[in-house]
Amino acid sequence: MRSDEELVEAFQSGDESAFETLVRRWDRKIHGVVYRVVGSDEEARDLSQEAFFKAYRGLAGFKKEARFSSWLYQIALNVCRDRLRRLRHRSHVSLDEMDDSADPRLQTRGPTALDLVENRERARVVAAAMAELPPEQREVIILKEYQGLTFPEIAEVTGVPISTVKTRMYRGLGQLRLRLERQGVRGNAAAAVPAP
Amino acid sequence: MDCELFRDDMMDVLYGEETPVAAHRFRAHEAECAGCREEAAAFRAMRRELQVWDAPAPPRVLARPPARRRFAVPLAAAAALLVGLLGALAAGGSDVTFAGGRFSLRLGRDAELRMLLAEQEMRHRREVAALRADLARTRLPAATVAGPAATVDETALLATVRALIRESERRQSVALGASLRDLEDRSEARRQYDLARVSAGLSYLDGKAGLEAARTSELMGQVLRASQQK
Repeated sequence: MRSDEELVEAFQSGDESAFETLVRRWDRKIHGVVYRVVGSDEEARDLSQEAFFKAYRGLAGFKKEARFSSWLYQIALNVCRDRLRRLRHRSHVSLDEMDDSADPRLQTRGPTALDLVENRERARVVAAAMAELPPEQREVIILKEYQGLTFPEIAEVTGVPISTVKTRMYRGLGQLRLRLERQGVRGNAAAAVPAP
Repeated sequence: MDCELFRDDMMDVLYGEETPVAAHRFRAHEAECAGCREEAAAFRAMRRELQVWDAPAPPRVLARPPARRRFAVPLAAAAALLVGLLGALAAGGSDVTFAGGRFSLRLGRDAELRMLLAEQEMRHRREVAALRADLARTRLPAATVAGPAATVDETALLATVRALIRESERRQSVALGASLRDLEDRSEARRQYDLARVSAGLSYLDGKAGLEAARTSELMGQVLRASQQK
């Protein structure tokens, strides 16, 4: 499997199919981060496309000073920020946005319908708490918790020092904790995510 | 004990990016500081809660890049446009017919819509059937709710439902308590503010009354002295 950098080089040499490979590789991740930043699946579809379109237009001039993934995340976050500025920041994700009528898990064996409804409610609470965070804290938490980026990678994507990333992370987690506890949600300490 | 100095270390340890030096430094601080110990534990527990928030899958990728610009002969472009238009009309369920020396056009997407509706109907039927099957597996006998006829699964289900209800009530109670405390704090703050304003107002009036009384006394004194001198 070719690396991102090899695909970029191939594209810059005229192989347009290399871009298609990059899109397939990154589509789900970019959609995931955009969805969590803006809080809407419908908008995430539009904005993800916009991000990939901008990447396509800029890829010929991509200078490889940063990782391709960092550059792509930067584009996605900028697209989100522009949209949120125009929308004056959506403060919550409505239940309608989290429609589960097409959720295939409801049609298969496994967790009961009660478990799924319970999880849906918890997810809604988390999404609402995240939506109330300042944008810079929300971005850092999303990139860390859901995209699995390291602190140096997040610093590269957001263009701030690593110490600033950690400060935003700490404050964001603190705010989240307060909001979740106010909703009566406490993490399950017995099943806490251990540090790797 | 300045806990600020250990924030970065806490984040590194929480996410497994610590160096051995940072790990040792934070563990030593954590052993002495109950606040940081409690906070780190709360963050670890909260991270699991954050994972319930799934992102929906994106639509199927159509990664064909936009066509590069080409210079085109205007006539060829017009012909391509016409062919494309006719093709789109046909694909959209429209008809273009030539009869009696005239073209006629019928626009419509009936067939496509009917197909989409039929697919949706099939999907809904499957979901409803799955839910009915699920309910049938967990249906309780009419006679009792938790009597001897209840099976082990049904008893466990009841226990689960009761636990969920209790958990929901606990969360509501916590949220209500927090709201009431907040209201109480704000009411108390407002009351103190109003009392302070009233007190300031009274002091002003007292002061003013006092000044006037003093002024009156002074004038009376002057009048008395003047009358005595006469």
